[in-house]
Amino acid sequence: MRIIQETNIDFIRQRKVSFILSAFVILAGIISLVINGGPKLSIDFKGGTLVSVQYTEAMDVTTVRTAMGNVNIDGQSFDFSREEIKHFGGPSAILIRVPHIEGAPQNFAQKIVDHLYSAFPEKVPESKTDFILGKGTVSPKIGSELSGKAVMAIISALGLILLYISIRFEFRFALGAIAALVHDVLITLGLFSLLGYEISLPIIAAFLTIVGYSLNDTIVIFDRIRENAKASKREAYHGVVNRSINDSLSRTVVTSLTTFLVIFILWLFGGEVIHNFALAMIIGVIVGTYSSIYIASPIVVQLHENAAK
Amino acid sequence: MNSKLTPRLLIIGLILIWAIWAIWPTIRYQGLSDAEKESMREEGTIEQIESRTIKQGLDLKGGMYIVLEVDLPTLMETLAINKDNRFNQSITSIRDQLTRTPEADFFTLFSSASNDNNLKLSRYYYDFGSSNEDILTALGEESEDAINRVLEILQNRVDQFGVAEPTIQKQGSQRIIVELAGVQDSERARSLLESTALLEFFLVKDVNTTNEILVKIDQALKGDETIADVIESASVEEVEETKESNDQTVSVSELFGETEELGASSDSAVVDEDMFAERPFSSMLRNLGQAIGIPEKNVYAVKKILERPEVREKLAAVGGTFMFSHKVEEYPLVDGTIEKMYSLYLLEDEAELTGGVVEEAKANLGPQGSTSAGQPIVNLTMNSDGARKWSIVTGSNVGRQIAIVLDKKVHMAPNIREKISGGGTLIEGFANINEAKDIAIVLRAGALPAPVDIIEERVVGPSLGADSIRRGTQSVLIGLGLVLIFMLIYYKVSGLIADFALIWNIVLVLAVLASLQATLTLPGIAGLILTVGMSIDSNVIIFERIREELRKGKTPRSAVDGGYDRALTAIIDANVTTLIAALVLWQFGTGPVRGFATVLFWGILISMFTAIFVTRTIFNLFTNRKNLSKLSI
Repeated sequence: MRIIQETNIDFIRQRKVSFILSAFVILAGIISLVINGGPKLSIDFKGGTLVSVQYTEAMDVTTVRTAMGNVNIDGQSFDFSREEIKHFGGPSAILIRVPHIEGAPQNFAQKIVDHLYSAFPEKVPESKTDFILGKGTVSPKIGSELSGKAVMAIISALGLILLYISIRFEFRFALGAIAALVHDVLITLGLFSLLGYEISLPIIAAFLTIVGYSLNDTIVIFDRIRENAKASKREAYHGVVNRSINDSLSRTVVTSLTTFLVIFILWLFGGEVIHNFALAMIIGVIVGTYSSIYIASPIVVQLHENAAK
Repeated sequence: MNSKLTPRLLIIGLILIWAIWAIWPTIRYQGLSDAEKESMREEGTIEQIESRTIKQGLDLKGGMYIVLEVDLPTLMETLAINKDNRFNQSITSIRDQLTRTPEADFFTLFSSASNDNNLKLSRYYYDFGSSNEDILTALGEESEDAINRVLEILQNRVDQFGVAEPTIQKQGSQRIIVELAGVQDSERARSLLESTALLEFFLVKDVNTTNEILVKIDQALKGDETIADVIESASVEEVEETKESNDQTVSVSELFGETEELGASSDSAVVDEDMFAERPFSSMLRNLGQAIGIPEKNVYAVKKILERPEVREKLAAVGGTFMFSHKVEEYPLVDGTIEKMYSLYLLEDEAELTGGVVEEAKANLGPQGSTSAGQPIVNLTMNSDGARKWSIVTGSNVGRQIAIVLDKKVHMAPNIREKISGGGTLIEGFANINEAKDIAIVLRAGALPAPVDIIEERVVGPSLGADSIRRGTQSVLIGLGLVLIFMLIYYKVSGLIADFALIWNIVLVLAVLASLQATLTLPGIAGLILTVGMSIDSNVIIFERIREELRKGKTPRSAVDGGYDRALTAIIDANVTTLIAALVLWQFGTGPVRGFATVLFWGILISMFTAIFVTRTIFNLFTNRKNLSKLSI
């Protein structure tokens, strides 16, 4: 069985179209990021409190919002009605996110849970243990350290990858690969911002998976270019690259399809906790496959032609 | 003819045997019922299995994750002697700086603060050295030592609390991470960890002194507009309520009048406007006989007022300090409603005795015939030194109130009826027997050398954990099944080899995780999925290459050889780059990201080995047959 027969598509000639398309999507994402004041960071990075609880009946978010309008904790009254309150998974579960408050009372998260529990006495399970789905409080101290570390990790990973590809291939290949990676992450980040999803630690792990996946895709094609360029030195570079993409197209499609299958199932059935994580990966697989064909390789050609001039 | 392959097959076989051996305890453990686990725990055989299984992370299993940070500024304050204003100001400014720039190192700040303020550290820490540098080094060691003691004490507390497989570890120089899997009562666990367990005995100042200080505070605050803001920020409702209660004022004399019945004057609503103008502080208080009552709604405002410098000045002048009771109690009012109030005590500012003298602490129910009959109590036994001091303190203060204070909160303040010489005493005032038990645990384990702050806390409820592991596992299995079927249809017999390679990969990764005693979290599962993807990809690259070679008209054998040779560089380069990413992640990541990186790292190594070595050997088994004319691919 073969899905892709031998093809001869001129991918490189279309590069202007693909560059414009990518630039458009990235720009849309960036505009959304600017409007929203940067990516929506989870409490992992910003600090704050996140509480999710399970009622026995479907809850109306507006009712919960009203109930959170005046919460008395240790003699201090708080208005949480304007914080983020939404359903979590199903209609009977509620999630509340409160940003960090300087000098917040002891055991802040638990007090919010207590309030949610006592506000609707007829709609809660008997045991508070069954009521709490999860709660978390992170001090901004941890958050800022984490952001610093994440930036460090990304910069050093990119640097090392750049170095490795420069050694194994050529420097312009490294530039093409990195451009594709930045492209993928920017698009996923932008789409997350457009969809209003937040960036948490697991999402960062998903981003890194995307980076790994896209890199893998790109390098397989680069390998073919390297091989074909050696074999036919007289052929125009543009043609060599095009043939290489076509040669490995069958592999690209099969691999992307299988990976997509696994992640799609995970997105569909994996449950609330993993849902956004799987979504980031789905976006990543699609964008990553696209970018290794339409971004990374064309950039290598472009750089080659620029150097020849 | 197969002699060349024999050593390869032997290696593959040995690895398979090792993998099954490594993964067996995990399979066995999963199959055990709770009752079987319990009986094995009693026999002591379960530890052998537990130590070799893959643990499930808190996100999958439910449980509690807490990061505690030792409060270094407070530790340094505790260690210092002859503290003066200049010293206190330096510490306060360091605290402020730490709030603004949390990443800053305490000792660097301390060093620059002492240079800027011309602090001679030898004045406060003469035991630690003579020059500022020496002292800072010694204090650094002291803090290192303190965190090790904190670690030990917390370990001790958790062990006595009774949680299966607790993990307590140090992170960096001033943090401790505690992971309690499957813990149900997160509130209880939290207070057990957080408690400094500093037990102190203070004499309570007499009623006259207390009254005088209240008057002084009222005078100091009178006419201060900012007080109204404090109260307003505490609660909006109070101000509205006050308008209806102009005639029900509480005077200071009433507050502490001998003849007043408990709660008799506490019927006025929280703050009274007329009285508030005259006596801003007293207007928020109630008379509870021997103590001052603070309605729950006023607690925040009262705390704010007590923190004000002019109030602290007045308190320092009489050598007293205010402390709250540790829990809120309900008092019936005249009109039949119930008001929740904390008690406030004015104590001497030096403790008579501290918890260091406690030798044994036991939770009990109060004996019949005593005031605490049937109530949860903690019995304390003191060492000989403590017993001697205790008998002196009690003997010379008969009739006075003594407050038993745990972590700066008053648990009880009984009157001393007679001299206590045996060194035994009891604490009451617990909400339930569990609380008494936990307090006994922390008192036995000893006080922490420095207070700890909880800077991160995550609790995953058992239901969410169970749900996410069930759905996660299910969907991964479905996805995996679909991929296996797809490969079989698309590449036929070769697809079967790829399927074998995939399952072998997963088994090996799990075996490595089990022998590393790693914890599998959700991001870890994600890493596993990426590994599956990479492993499939390696095979796809090889198979497509073999197909190309076959199309060129090569024999199956040379097509396989050619396909593998040509695919090799692509596989290595692609995997090594991802490996670099995994290593960097492992280096910089913490918690979940690190779990992801660990799985990814081993997954890539193993899948490279599988693609290059294992499947090739299997292919060669086929192609070595002389009469093979067609390859099923």
